Amino acid sequence: MRPRHALALLSSAAVLAACAPAQTDGTDAQADEATGTLRVWLFDEVDRAPKEDVVEAAVEEFEDTHDDVTVDVSYIQVDGRQERFNAAFNDPESAPDVAEFGNTDLPGFVAAGGMAELTEEIEDWDQGDQLDAAITETARVDGATYAVPWFVGARALYYRTDVLEDIDTDPPETLDEVVDTARAARAESDLLGLSTGGNYLWALLPFIWANGGDLAEESGDGYTATIDSPPARAGVDQYTELLSDDVCPPQTCAEMGGNESVDNFVAGEAAMTLGGNFNYAAVSDSDIGDDFDVIPLPGQDPGSVAPAFAGGNHLGVFAGSDRHTLAVEFTQLLAGAEYQERMYEAMGNLPTLTPVQEDVAATDPEMEPFIATLEAGTRFVPATEAWTTIDAQAVLPSMVQQVATGDESVQDATSEAADRMNDAFDES
Amino acid sequence: MHLLGQRLLRAGNSGRRRRLPGRRFGVDLAGLVIIAVIAFPLYWMVISALKPRTAIEAGDTTPYPAKVTLESIRRVVVGDAFWLYLANSLIVALSVVVLSTFCAFLAAVALTRYRFGSRTKLLIMILVAQMVPVEALTIPLFFLVRNIGGVVPGLGLNHLGSLIAVHTAFTLPLAIWMLRGFVAAVPTEIEEAARLDGASSLTFVWRVLFPIVAPGVVAVSVFSFIAAWNDFLFAMTFIISATERQTLPVAILRFFQPDGNDWGAIMAGSVLMTIPVLIFFVLVQRRLTSGMAGAVKG
Amino acid sequence: MSRSTSARPRSGGDRLRLRTALRTGRFEPWLYLVPAFVVLGVMLVYPIYQLVLVSMYDYGQPQVTGAEPLRFVGADNYRRLFEDPRFWEVLSNTVIFAVLCVCGTLLVGIALAVLATRLRPWVRTALFLVSLGAWATPAVTGSAVWLFLFDPTLGLVNQVLVGIGLDGFAGHSWTYEKWSAFGLVAAQVIWCSFPFVMVAVYAGITAIPAELVEAARLDGASTLRVAWSVLIPMLRPVLTIVTIQSIIWDFKIFTQIYIMTSGGGVDGQNLVLNVYAYQQAFAANSYGLGSAIGVVLTLLLLAITLVYLHIRRRSGEVL
Repeated sequence: MRPRHALALLSSAAVLAACAPAQTDGTDAQADEATGTLRVWLFDEVDRAPKEDVVEAAVEEFEDTHDDVTVDVSYIQVDGRQERFNAAFNDPESAPDVAEFGNTDLPGFVAAGGMAELTEEIEDWDQGDQLDAAITETARVDGATYAVPWFVGARALYYRTDVLEDIDTDPPETLDEVVDTARAARAESDLLGLSTGGNYLWALLPFIWANGGDLAEESGDGYTATIDSPPARAGVDQYTELLSDDVCPPQTCAEMGGNESVDNFVAGEAAMTLGGNFNYAAVSDSDIGDDFDVIPLPGQDPGSVAPAFAGGNHLGVFAGSDRHTLAVEFTQLLAGAEYQERMYEAMGNLPTLTPVQEDVAATDPEMEPFIATLEAGTRFVPATEAWTTIDAQAVLPSMVQQVATGDESVQDATSEAADRMNDAFDES
Repeated sequence: MHLLGQRLLRAGNSGRRRRLPGRRFGVDLAGLVIIAVIAFPLYWMVISALKPRTAIEAGDTTPYPAKVTLESIRRVVVGDAFWLYLANSLIVALSVVVLSTFCAFLAAVALTRYRFGSRTKLLIMILVAQMVPVEALTIPLFFLVRNIGGVVPGLGLNHLGSLIAVHTAFTLPLAIWMLRGFVAAVPTEIEEAARLDGASSLTFVWRVLFPIVAPGVVAVSVFSFIAAWNDFLFAMTFIISATERQTLPVAILRFFQPDGNDWGAIMAGSVLMTIPVLIFFVLVQRRLTSGMAGAVKG
Repeated sequence: MSRSTSARPRSGGDRLRLRTALRTGRFEPWLYLVPAFVVLGVMLVYPIYQLVLVSMYDYGQPQVTGAEPLRFVGADNYRRLFEDPRFWEVLSNTVIFAVLCVCGTLLVGIALAVLATRLRPWVRTALFLVSLGAWATPAVTGSAVWLFLFDPTLGLVNQVLVGIGLDGFAGHSWTYEKWSAFGLVAAQVIWCSFPFVMVAVYAGITAIPAELVEAARLDGASTLRVAWSVLIPMLRPVLTIVTIQSIIWDFKIFTQIYIMTSGGGVDGQNLVLNVYAYQQAFAANSYGLGSAIGVVLTLLLLAITLVYLHIRRRSGEVL
């Protein structure tokens, strides 16, 4: 029995195993059907009801105008989306036709061959040219567009009006003044001058961009890191000035990300912070709700705005979808002006269509600084799958933390980060 | 536990008789202090679940809920198919418990009541299975489950069977190791008596050995239960499109959002998730300790 | 069969007899092993084989979906790993941190097991109940609660410390300094893993026949001597199991480090192997490299376990 058993085991293993790791063959669509069930994945929310109402209205409208089509919407968790999308790419039968995802996810999904190209479809779409140009850029990989930007988030400078009054200072008009004001506020009040963190990439980037630098530039068919260029270094230097004992002590702040940074402001522990439009409700509901204001983060020159990171979510069509045309039509409906506006009303997500943005700014003055930030022009991270690696390996947070803790100079830390970024670029 | 307590009292009698009553009180007091320390994070979890969300976000540190609200619990329970997910989790965890203890019991019989050369090697191989980090196995398992699904749909992707199979495999090694002791502790005389009565080996194992070891089997199941109950890696990877077959931990993922986690709801969800485990424990607790007493003799 | 015959403690002599009376059927043991082998063979042996295979390929999400061709790279993934100075730092972090956790878990678990034998029944039940609560708490939540309590500005611990006059703790970060961070995480790990040790050792102590202790005492042995020459040898088997299990679990700690040090601490100072594997490989979708790290970790654990068992065997322990 023993040798026989071992043999049985071996042979069954041999049956199961090819001599190479498993691969899915072909995620390409087989057909383009005009009827049937269209499967849609949208992100789940803590309070999903308002989003669900808007989506249901869109589904109803879509089903009314398309015979024999049903739309089946599933809500998936944002946390763990990577696992689920990968699983869907690996098992086309489980994959949806349309899905919502974060704009930084896109290059990785495209490299995996998971998303369908939509360049022509967007050109042909009557609302396509109303999309905010900088934000459409975030849906592009290697010159081709793979998604429709659905909504964006923008970050701006939150400050405590009472604290600034105490130190008799006007809101800052340049990045240098931001640093000075933060320092003065801490000296006076013992609060964190500007609550931000070593792990808060979206706060770092505007400093780099405002100084004329960038993370990387396109070269040939790839990217080369430019984080070690003089303007980028100036930005890193200026940002890390904030992570010092007289503004935001590295002891407390080196590890903080965006959420922790804003939490400190909400808890009344900070004079300023960089927060998103999505944080506005939490801040105004808090104890400091009557004593704060928001302005776009200024750039180097008075009156200018530091370019903000264009975070947000896209709607895309799966490459393996058997209902490509239907999927595109549904995407255009849901990302169209009517439903963007309703999504803003329901969830507070900033629209990507410029006319809708203008409407929002006109009707809701508290969104004005965020819209102004968008209008001033937003920037994005390198649109390559290597970004997934750079992000996962925490290359940039490490760089900031090395400087903040005094372990390395800006010079050395940025050089090391550039090397690690280039390694990642070379590999993809 | 009660029976055990008596046995303990007897065991400790010689020492205890000489001890002053005040000393005994001191030991109990020390015990209570330690209980308080261990319980404090749990207590914090519960009151965080009962605080309003704004209080948590503002870093409210009052060590008691100034204003009790069921808001967070309601966010967890209402609006999503919470009860369905709970049922799915129970199905998975209980199936894993049954299957894994069944396989482990038989394996433990083979590994303790028979003598054969490769026994030690087998035991170590069983341990190796536990050493591999599960994250590294996710992809191979994904394709395996997908292929199995082509033959037996119930064990394939999007089915609870896939989760049951994976967790059974992952909980099996420890179950075998623990059960070995229980089986070894059953006196040989019983086996000899059964054999004299003409019972076959299989009859002995099922009719005699199993009922004796049953309490221990129940006890070991608590390990398997907790492991299967808390997993979300496989639940996320295998249950792709069938949202109606999601398990409880995945439902709680909803409260982890990029713009800020809803800690109140996460705490509430975790409290709700811990309750079934505690119920399970209370049900098996007497057997857990007395059963383990047998296990450790292995 | 009455309950009274069930799992009763047996003296060494009985066990010896049991061993010699073992059946020596060649066929039956394998029959009983079939269910376990089928499950383990299909769900573990095969994936582990695949793991080793994958570790020799350039295997990422594009390769998995078939968007890019597979490329056999041999030992490249391993070479890349061993050439990365960070890997060695992470490896030593892992060993030190795991040893800290294993020792802490065993110490606390054994101490509380001994304490439990001396407690009033209701206090003991309470101890077991809260311990099980700690054990059953999902790792994510457990870590988050500890992090709340130790938050630099908003945490209860610092506020209490400042409240009793230790002003130095205002805004003190417990996770900023490398070993302070590891210490905090280790405390959390011990909190949620000592119950396993406590329950097992408690059961072991209660299984020791009272007569044995009594006899030793009558011979005039001191408490320490009783503990050393009677209790410890009797507890060997259970200590072996809990030690091996703790080693296996604590070398693979992921969630606690990931959450409490926000993904590996300031500049990755608190990375341990499993988090490193996730960060370098899985989150970046390079499964080949991740599998190589998985293989290394498995071999490391296997080596440690074998050495441990070897030492045990030399001191007369039979597995």
